[in-house]
Amino acid sequence: MKPAGRLALGAAALLALPLAISDFWIFIAIEVLAFALYAVSFNVLLGYGGMLSFGHAAFFGVGGYAAAILMKKAGLPPGVAFAALPLVAMVAAAAVAVVVGYFSVRRSGIYFAMLTFAFQMLLYAVALKATGLTGGDDGMTGLKPPGLLAQPLAYYYFALALVAPALYVLFRLVSSPFGYALRALRGNPRRLQYSGVDVRAHQLAAFVITGAFAGLAGGIFALSSGNVFPGWLNWTASATPIVMAVLGGVHSFLGPALGAAVYVVLEVLISGKTEYWPLAMGIIILILVLLMPEGLTGLARRRTA
Amino acid sequence: MIEFLSQHFSWAQNPVVVARQVLAGISNGMLLFLISAGLSLIFGVLRIINFAHGALFMLGAFVAVSVLSLSPGGGWAYVGALGAATAALAVFGAAVEAGLLRRIYRAPHEFQLLLTFALVFVLGDVAKLLWGREDHSTSVPALLDGSMRALGLTFPSYRLFLIGAGLAVALGLWLVLHRTRWGIFVRAATMDRGMLSALGVNTRLLFTSVFAAGAALAGLGGALAAPIVAVGPGLHVQVIIDAFVVVVIGGMGSVMGALVASLLVGIVNAFGLLAFPGLAVVLTFAVMAVVLVVRPHGLFGVPE
Amino acid sequence: MILEVQGLAKRFGGLQALDGVDLSVEPGEFRAIIGPNGAGKSTFFNTLTGLLQPDSGRVRFEGRDVTGTPPHLLARLGVGRTFQITSIFHDLTALENVQVALLAHARQVWSLWPKARALHGERAKQLLSLVGLGGALERQAGTLAHGDQKRLELAIALAGEPRLLLLDEPTAGMAAQERLESIRLVHRLAQELGLSCVFTEHDMAVVFAVATRITVMHQGKVLAEGTPAEVRARREVQQVYLGVPA
Repeated sequence: MKPAGRLALGAAALLALPLAISDFWIFIAIEVLAFALYAVSFNVLLGYGGMLSFGHAAFFGVGGYAAAILMKKAGLPPGVAFAALPLVAMVAAAAVAVVVGYFSVRRSGIYFAMLTFAFQMLLYAVALKATGLTGGDDGMTGLKPPGLLAQPLAYYYFALALVAPALYVLFRLVSSPFGYALRALRGNPRRLQYSGVDVRAHQLAAFVITGAFAGLAGGIFALSSGNVFPGWLNWTASATPIVMAVLGGVHSFLGPALGAAVYVVLEVLISGKTEYWPLAMGIIILILVLLMPEGLTGLARRRTA
Repeated sequence: MIEFLSQHFSWAQNPVVVARQVLAGISNGMLLFLISAGLSLIFGVLRIINFAHGALFMLGAFVAVSVLSLSPGGGWAYVGALGAATAALAVFGAAVEAGLLRRIYRAPHEFQLLLTFALVFVLGDVAKLLWGREDHSTSVPALLDGSMRALGLTFPSYRLFLIGAGLAVALGLWLVLHRTRWGIFVRAATMDRGMLSALGVNTRLLFTSVFAAGAALAGLGGALAAPIVAVGPGLHVQVIIDAFVVVVIGGMGSVMGALVASLLVGIVNAFGLLAFPGLAVVLTFAVMAVVLVVRPHGLFGVPE
Repeated sequence: MILEVQGLAKRFGGLQALDGVDLSVEPGEFRAIIGPNGAGKSTFFNTLTGLLQPDSGRVRFEGRDVTGTPPHLLARLGVGRTFQITSIFHDLTALENVQVALLAHARQVWSLWPKARALHGERAKQLLSLVGLGGALERQAGTLAHGDQKRLELAIALAGEPRLLLLDEPTAGMAAQERLESIRLVHRLAQELGLSCVFTEHDMAVVFAVATRITVMHQGKVLAEGTPAEVRARREVQQVYLGVPA
């Protein structure tokens, strides 16, 4: 089947899906949408730009908290606040990403990674301690979209209406001159420099853009799950986008989205049966890393080859 | 201004409190040193950030608790517990390196990261399965219990013992690194890995032994900490972050750096908790970020 | 003068890698820099192009002071470079390699929406044909033969429409015959496109085949300079290269 045909089929499936499943699973589908955006945006940085960030969860978390603070603390009518949510989540995450990115891209490799990690932990500490603003350890709860959008079905379509265009924008981004330069940067930053590109500025831009979309994902998820916790920013959360991207396959644009779907569904199924989800996740990651380095899309490609 | 000082620093007027905090800070620093030294060496030689290092510390504590529960109170049981934890973790570390880590040295960095993360998740739950969800506690061995008097103040003996043990390990480590062949290879590897295989050194064995040694140190640290902390499945999460801060400040790959930074962090934490209980944690990460921005190789590390 | 270097110096710890290098290149020259290993040739290029900051000295390109200017800005002014260890984008196709360079030159890398695949395709193919890679457009650059990778790097450098081309060991890793062919290609292109070239080289046959002037470096300094015949006759050069006793 041609790519356009596959895409149309996928779109139809996504539109029809919530009509066929229970409310509980619609919530899961919304979570998948948000995490798919999270993972794909993360992979623009990793798979395309070659930049491994240990602190991307920071932007997902900032987006979530921005959404929560907007809805609960900004003193705006719920309709207005909600309408502003996508923009606010993205701008908040982007603003944080500018600061984090500015300092982080000046280093490369492991120091870059550790810097992003340190900043995420810093934000975690702030979320934990700025009790007045963030609710501290208890987080912020009771987040609801206004009126009819609080219905899972309606919120699903709302989330889809945000995530699908966002994914398309990211796709155009990696196919654009900016995206070409990003891929070149991953392979040989010095050669790109000598061709006239300010590599650091380019990396910073990629960092901020992917951070902003992670923030959007966080904002969408916050209102679906109804709450935000400091745990979203804890160090163990920094592995989540990496797992999803690698699970799906970092060499394809939508691979991480598949990884996100599998990850979320597995988590729901396994946590429903046992409290030892971390153990299961750990084993899955070990299998992935040792036996399936190309991820699910890599396996599929091998089968059809 | 005066109010600020009195609110946050009133304890400074009380020498007993100050002395107790210094002691707590230094003894905690020693425990932190045992974890960070291993973490730092593992990074310096294997170039891997071992997120599971806190879990190794935790396992050491659990092993000690189990050994001590077999024969409580006895002084020899305590020595046995220390030895068992160290040995068990050394073997476990070697197994992890040879069985898992070795396969992914050539893989992209995200795979190495994911592997150590996976270990964190697996070991955390395995500990739950083996030792249950509740916190365990074990008592300080009778010989080391109680307190000692010095300078007109009383200090818990165990804390002093910890400081002594930490210094002994630091000294031992220094001797090994500077007076044995293995130690020279380790230090050389921290500076230039490529040269090592060119010189005919068995890098495989070196890597395994370094990881095992790091794990053993963490295990020993856990065993020493067991009498004074709540030994539960959440233990590893708390310690790893402090260890990262220490390794960053001290310099990745430097044992001396780990020692100095551990004491610094230990003492600052002890006083920070008194003066600015809310901010201490924020400050720690702010310092970590600042060090990485300004001087990524830390105090004693090798510049790239 | 298209390039003027005065007193360029660079120290690494205990080693004075560049010890006051003076060099002037006229437009249209095909200048060779020769010298034993460790003479400072690569450091010279790195310091010249701002990859390293000089400790002292001046660099002027087309009369404009560019001392310490970072590589990406110098590239935009019209200076191109190739590297001793071939520096290309291994994961991209040959065509994409040159397209990226063209996009960079056209200052389009901040374009976030248009499809890059459709941009500069014709020009990229043209450049690849020029260097003899017309048939390898869709090949992944990392899979190309060593000599072809060097040609690709040349195409990438030419995409920036440089007026001065710096080539660090352009024939490194090639067999003798390939080396002569390769440098003759560069020389021909330079003449056709009106470029000035400065290249470092070990192989004397290559140097004497095409160089218009030769600069001899030794221990971070310029030892001798002149036409190939002049340089060949200089006693110091013979000592340094051929071990003729003082």
